Order: sequence, then structure tokens, then C-alpha cells
Amino acid sequence: MSAFLATVNFASPYFPVLVLLVIALVMSVGFVLLSQALGPKRYDRIKYGVYECGVDPLTPAAVRVSVKFYLLALLFMLFDLETTLLYPWAVLFRSLGLFGFIEMAVFVGILLVGLVYAWKKGALEWQ
Amino acid sequence: MFLGNLGSLPYFLPELAVTATILLLVALHVVSKRKTTSAPGFLALLGVGAAILLSGVSAPGSGKAIFEGMAAYDGFAIFFKVLTAFATLVVILMSMDSEELAGRSKAEYFIFLLATLLGMFLLSSATDIVMLYLSLELVSIPSYMLAGYMKGKERSTEAAMKYVVFGATASGVMIYGFSLLFGMTGSTQIAEIGRALASGKPALPVVLAAVMVAVGFGYKIAAVPFHMWSPDVYEGAPTPATAFFSVAPKAAGFAVLVRFYYTVFAGPDAAAGTWRMTSTMDWPLLFAGLSAVTMTVGNLVAVKQNNVKRLLAYSSIAHAGYMLMGFVLLSSAGIEAILFYLVVYLFMNLGAFYVVVLVRNATGGEEISDFTGLGSRAPFAAVALAIFLFSLTGIPPFSGFIGKVYLFAEVIHRGVYWLAVVAALNSVVSLYYYARIVRAMFLQEPKDASAIPVPAVSGAMLVLLAAPTLILGVYWEPVARFAHASVRMLAF
Repeated sequence: MSAFLATVNFASPYFPVLVLLVIALVMSVGFVLLSQALGPKRYDRIKYGVYECGVDPLTPAAVRVSVKFYLLALLFMLFDLETTLLYPWAVLFRSLGLFGFIEMAVFVGILLVGLVYAWKKGALEWQ
Repeated sequence: MFLGNLGSLPYFLPELAVTATILLLVALHVVSKRKTTSAPGFLALLGVGAAILLSGVSAPGSGKAIFEGMAAYDGFAIFFKVLTAFATLVVILMSMDSEELAGRSKAEYFIFLLATLLGMFLLSSATDIVMLYLSLELVSIPSYMLAGYMKGKERSTEAAMKYVVFGATASGVMIYGFSLLFGMTGSTQIAEIGRALASGKPALPVVLAAVMVAVGFGYKIAAVPFHMWSPDVYEGAPTPATAFFSVAPKAAGFAVLVRFYYTVFAGPDAAAGTWRMTSTMDWPLLFAGLSAVTMTVGNLVAVKQNNVKRLLAYSSIAHAGYMLMGFVLLSSAGIEAILFYLVVYLFMNLGAFYVVVLVRNATGGEEISDFTGLGSRAPFAAVALAIFLFSLTGIPPFSGFIGKVYLFAEVIHRGVYWLAVVAALNSVVSLYYYARIVRAMFLQEPKDASAIPVPAVSGAMLVLLAAPTLILGVYWEPVARFAHASVRMLAF
């Protein structure tokens, strides 16, 4: 242990981070254990019930979400990122010249193939 | 000297070929009316074949740092490109006549396969941690989809789910390690990080980073204790995809493991062909321990398996352990041994899985009991499987023996005797479970003794895989020379 301590650089700028980590770990685990050991234990039906702002739960918590939302979110992400890359290109369009134009055309072309695929597969239809 | 984007393209031809093939496959899938033609398969074969030919265009040795230092074009990367592309080629052939995938759209399957291949190309050449992470994800994400490709089959869905959860956790831990490295050195270039670490950095963050990155790479090569996903994924995924996972991403994982650790945490030593640690942490010892544990757990658990796919999954974990031995030696001969072993492992493991595909097509099952009497039902396939299994054990005169000789010789040469002893004991254990399948095939009476027809194409595939397994056991010098020439990593 002392051999290990000798290798620890207390002057390191990261040392406070380690101290914080250890304190956070000790406190979070410690309080859970403490309340487990000291707290009173009374179990009844209401205590085992689901907590929903003091009201009896109306519906089960596990609601099924249509997979269509994921598809839409995925497509949105894709074309959102495309826009993110298109903006800086548009700003620098003059200085990038023909090379930049062709490079962007290739990128958009690849995404276009993806869009056609999603379209044909019916990912854009809600029904 | 970094090459710019346009100047890098001539050194990026295999990747371009694969990308073009993926786009063509998508287009083909969109326009074609019938979804079960064999056209996508032939197109994929053509693309991967072109990628192999283009990888071999330039002689290794003329290394280049391409795309502003994002990737390297060197002998090491070319070796892994040829290796992973060849494995993909064999897997495409296996997939084309697999009963499991019959009736499903193959075009999308091949798109995922080729996307994984593109990721492996980039992974074996990445020299920037951002590129490295991106290509690792490009290998992982299509793999999840391949594992869950049999939509509606519970096992397949379970495999994909487990793969995603383990994969996301492992890459999350890994990228945290990367962020520590970036925080300490202020660079994303691995050569730059290596130089900065060699000039002395606080020990604790370096240890943390080395261990955290090991989690990500250990998951890719399925080393214990990051192997838990592999048996379930291997069992649930379609068998050709399982064969693919057990060889290609594992090879790419070793490529990135060697390149990353030998650049970031080690530097070339004064003596030719050796490296020395530059970090205060003894990471070779850590990996030597991982290697010993990996092969022991893999082999011991494989003994109890009755499902042949699960058995081969644990056996592939054990083989990752053997190959890790070459990684910890810090010598170019050790890396050469890994490369050589990966080549022989490719043939014998893909071969073993191919026979499983054939048996599954005929019997619908993949338990050891489905293999009983295969020696009389399909003698040709049974003899081929026996060759692959004995080669996996490492018995002369098969190529697996030569692969192990190279690994063991270098381990003993570098004086890590305890690891050699552990590995030798493990080889003995592995004989038991491989021989169990051989015993079922040749010494037990089948319930159903009807002959299993082996189509001519499948027979040709078996010859294609069994011949190198036999020939490399007697005449292995060209492959050894290729491996020797390939251990040239670009550190710029």
C-alpha cells in the first residue's frame, strides 16, 4: 500500500478530481447503508404501491411506443446532420470552388441513395 | 508528411470499391422486384474481390499517412485488409446457399456485411482516436443488425439485443479512456499521444486510460472478462454471420489493439524488431494475465457445451487468448506470429462453421447429437470437419500446429515461460472437446442413417478451406514471409 502511495502524485491537477470521486463514492454508498441500518422498517400495501404524485396509478408505466417514431427520429437525425455540414460549406462556397462542390455533391448523392431507399421501403408513410 | 484529401484517394481504392458496392446494392435492392434473387450475392462477391485486388496493388513498405493523418497506408493495414476481405468473401459464399437465410432479402444482409468490412478496413488503418472510434462503431453497428437479421426468431433478437448492450457499454468505457488521453496530451493523433506520454505524465490517468481502452478492444476480440456477449450472439445469429464474427472483426480488433498500444504506450527499442514500454504501467503483464485467463475460461467452458455453435464460440474465445500471447511480447516476431495465426485461424474456423451450416441445412439442428454418424452420412464433410477441428487443436501436420509453434517459440524466446505452460495445458484441454465432435461423427451410430447430399458447390468450398489448412501445415513459408513483410507500422 505504501509503495502504491509513493507512486501517487499529490501535486497533480487531477488529484482533487480523485478526492471528489472518493468522497462522492463514500457518501452515496454510505448514506444508503446508513439508512438501511438505522431507518425504521414498516412495510404495508401503500408503501409497496407505485408512487405517482400521491394519486393511485391510472395506467401501467410501461407504455408501448410505435416503432414509427424511432424511424422518423433516425431519418431526422440523418438529414439534420447533413444540414449541419451544408451550412459551413455554403458559407465557404466561393473559396472552396469546384472541388468543394464535387465533394459535397458526392456526399449529398450518397445520402440521396439512402433517402430513396427509405422512401421505397415506406419509412416516410405513417400508416 | 500528411497527404491531403484528394492526394489520399489513390491509397484508398479498396475502401472506395466497397463503398461503391454498398451503394450499388442499395440501388439494386430498391429497383428489383424479386427480393430473393442471387444477384446481390454476386455483386457483393465482385465488390469484395475488387477490394482484395486493389489492396494488393501497391507493395507494402511504401507507407503513407493519408487524409491529414487520419489513417495510415502501410503494410500492416494492407495485411488486415486482405485478410478481412478474404474472410468476407468466404462468408458471402457461405451465405448464398444457407437455408437459414432462405426466403429473406439477401441484399440488405450483404449491405450490412460490406459496411462491416468497410469499418474493418478503416479500423486496421486508423491512426487518430476519433477515426478509430468511428470505425469501431462502423464495425459494431452493422454487426448488431447481422446478429438480429432473422427477424421474428427469438434467439436472433436476443443476440442482437445483448450485442447492442455490451457493445455500447464497452465503447462508452473506451471513449472515456480516449478522452483521458486527449486531456493529458492535447492531441488526437496516436503517434502524437505516444510521444507526449513518453515524456512523462502522471501515472494514475495513464493507467486508467490504458485499462479503459483495453475494455473496448477486449470486447471486439472477445477476451475474458469482456466475452460474455459472444456465446449468446454466436448461437442466435445466422450461422454464416457467426462465422464472420468469429474471424473478421476479431482480426480487425487485433489490428487496432497492436497499432494502438504499440504506438501510444510503447516505442521502438534500440535492438531491431523490439519495442519497449514508455508508460509507467506494465500493460504487457496485464494483457499476459488476460491472455492466460481468456484461454483457460474459453477452453474449460467449451468442454461442457452441447451446441456446436456455442462450443465453437468458446473455442474462438480460447483462440483469442492464444493470439494475445503474441501481443504481450513487444517484439515484431510476436506480432508476426499473431498475423500468421490469424491466417490459419481464418481457414480452419470458417471451415468448421461451414460444415455446421451444411449440417444445419440437412438436419435443422446444430447440437452435437445432430452430428452423430456424419462420417457415414456425409463422409466428405465429416472428414473436412475433422481436419478443421484437429487443426484448431494444434495437432501436426495441420496448419494450426504451425501457427501455435510460431506463438509458443516467441513466448519462450522472450522468456515468458509461465504463459507458455498455461497455453500448452490449455491445448490439451481443447483436444477433449474437439475430439467429442469427431467421436460423434465417426464412432456413434446415427438415429437417421440416410445420406446427406453435399452439393458440388459446397464440396468445392470445403476443398477451398481444407486445402490451405493442410497445405499451410507443410508449406507455410509464403504466408510467414507475407506476415514478416507486413509488420511495418507507420509511426509519424
